[in-house]
Amino acid sequence: MDKPRVAFFDFASCEGCQLQVINLEEDLLQVVGAVEVVSFREAMKGHSDDYDIAFVEGSITRHSDEERLEGIRRCAKVLVALGSCAALGGINCLKNFHDQEYVKKLVYGDKALLYETYPARPLKAVVPVDFEIPGCPINRNEFAMVVKAFLLGKKPEIPNFPVCVECKMAENICVFEKGMTCMGPVTRAGCGACCVTEGSFCWGCRGLVDDPNADSQRDVLATHGLSVQDVLGKFRLYTGFSEVAK
Amino acid sequence: MKLRLIEKSDLDLFVQNLINDYQVDGVKRKEGSFLYGSIKSPEELCLDFDCTVIPPKKYFLPPEETLFQFTSSPALQVTPVMESNPFILFGVHPYDIKAINQMDRIFARGVPDPHYLKRREAALIIGVDPTKVAPRSFWADMGAATVSEGFDLMLTDIGESFIVEIGSNKGRSLLEQHAKPRPATRNEARERVGIRSRISHICKKRGFAFPKREIPTLLEHSWKKFFWEEQASKCLSCGTCNLVCPTCYCFDVQDNIDLDLVHGERVRRWDGCLLHDFAKVATGENFRETRASRYRHRFYRKGLYLFRLLDDMACVGCGRCASACLPDIADPVNLFNKLREDEK
Ligand code: SF4
Ligand code: SF4
Ligand code: SF4
Ligand code: SF4
Ligand code: SF4
Repeated sequence: MDKPRVAFFDFASCEGCQLQVINLEEDLLQVVGAVEVVSFREAMKGHSDDYDIAFVEGSITRHSDEERLEGIRRCAKVLVALGSCAALGGINCLKNFHDQEYVKKLVYGDKALLYETYPARPLKAVVPVDFEIPGCPINRNEFAMVVKAFLLGKKPEIPNFPVCVECKMAENICVFEKGMTCMGPVTRAGCGACCVTEGSFCWGCRGLVDDPNADSQRDVLATHGLSVQDVLGKFRLYTGFSEVAK
Repeated sequence: MKLRLIEKSDLDLFVQNLINDYQVDGVKRKEGSFLYGSIKSPEELCLDFDCTVIPPKKYFLPPEETLFQFTSSPALQVTPVMESNPFILFGVHPYDIKAINQMDRIFARGVPDPHYLKRREAALIIGVDPTKVAPRSFWADMGAATVSEGFDLMLTDIGESFIVEIGSNKGRSLLEQHAKPRPATRNEARERVGIRSRISHICKKRGFAFPKREIPTLLEHSWKKFFWEEQASKCLSCGTCNLVCPTCYCFDVQDNIDLDLVHGERVRRWDGCLLHDFAKVATGENFRETRASRYRHRFYRKGLYLFRLLDDMACVGCGRCASACLPDIADPVNLFNKLREDEK
């Protein structure tokens, strides 16, 4: 089998997910050995439009993005959303809850007229997406797992259970016991509950599980002292594009 | 039954002697909670805990473990991974020992599970009677206040000293070689009875409002009830009630392959029947798609399916599920009492 040709692209994002790929260290060499990287702005100079797998980072925030993304979709056999901006809309969607003219002024000041913007959205709102690797940033091991699955011709599997599972496996003490609140019960696992393990709580960066019980999660947060506005804020931080955050 | 006694002032020496010769794990304090972990010095060991966050099952069925390693080419080669380093588990409450006894039966049944059994054989268990009762515990009502087997030694705090019951020959030599026990007097033995009944009495504040023998029949008549939907409406499907339970043993098996696509390992990790994809099969079909059906399943396992197998409930009353479930709907006492009320 010929090595699959792989390309990386970015839209509105901090490029942190691409950085995670570069940070794969020894695994990166193996990935690079197993595939042929033909385009990766953050790590190399050349570019080619002949690729099999496109990893696309970032959310779509303006009309001109759509054309570029459609072009990538036409070239790629497999299109993978890399990270929460691309997969969920992510943190960029925070601006969707404000007037678009207002946010433009806030960011670009008197040059606002020169820029176009519209409410941020995930890739799948514009083109069909074959696979999503959520996370802000992505988990490197999960990225490697997805690459391996493609090489084996398998469909990659990422967890569809909440962060609480990995949190219990890590033997963390639930942050609700310590007076904090947490999005773990509705957030897709796969990160090993790293934020709780490191002393924080889950912010919800990997997005929601397939069938989240948002109502119950709202109740739990309210019982632990959050106002309606704060609860909404928790859901909007990363999953502002989803129905539950409306 | 011959009982021994060790003075409290000699306990540290006993623990230190064990640490010198064995890997010792026991209960440690962390942020106001209790966790099992490696004990490196006697001061770290806590014996007056009420209940740990995660039960000792993690020593026999770890959250994640490698079952075997494989090489897929030129020819398939499989190397089993078995762990069996001897260790001492110091400070296990009777209800958790009862749970381990149930697990021992489950994992030895049918095709015996060598990974579990090897670890289990490698463990020496030093039990300890609880001196405190966790707010949601109901082990006294589950007949788990004391156990007659499943430990090598069993300690009871009677004030200035510990009564030590010997549960096995291994336990006997462990005690004789590492501590300075003397025979307990009749009075001291009686004190143990008194202490045990006082703590059980405190624990009995929580329990079933009807005989637990009736639970299987109750469940047999409750399958189609709307009750389950009502109860499960708040369920987050987070699996916490399964993962913290000392009698839940479900796991998922997966292959992890290296980037060379040749080497890899088969691992198993904790799973739980409350999780959305637990009963999903390769064709994509999910046999327990709804929250209510998964929620109901757990109580049927505890109170009916496993009851038939073990002639007892697969619940020892530790109360871990109850205190860890955020919407507070996992407590067997509340659930079965409500179900019984609903029946009337
Ligand atoms: S800390 Fe958060 S993720 Fe961990 S168990 Fe509690 S709610 Fe779940
Ligand atoms: S714990 Fe939550 S916020 Fe942290 S990485 Fe995992 S999903 Fe993201
Ligand atoms: S019953 Fe409670 S602990 Fe169990 S899965 Fe549902 S919400 Fe989680
Ligand atoms: S069902 Fe709950 S109370 Fe019963 S043994 Fe399991 S965790 Fe403990
Ligand atoms: S109650 Fe559920 S998770 Fe626990 S052992 Fe039974 S089927 Fe498995």
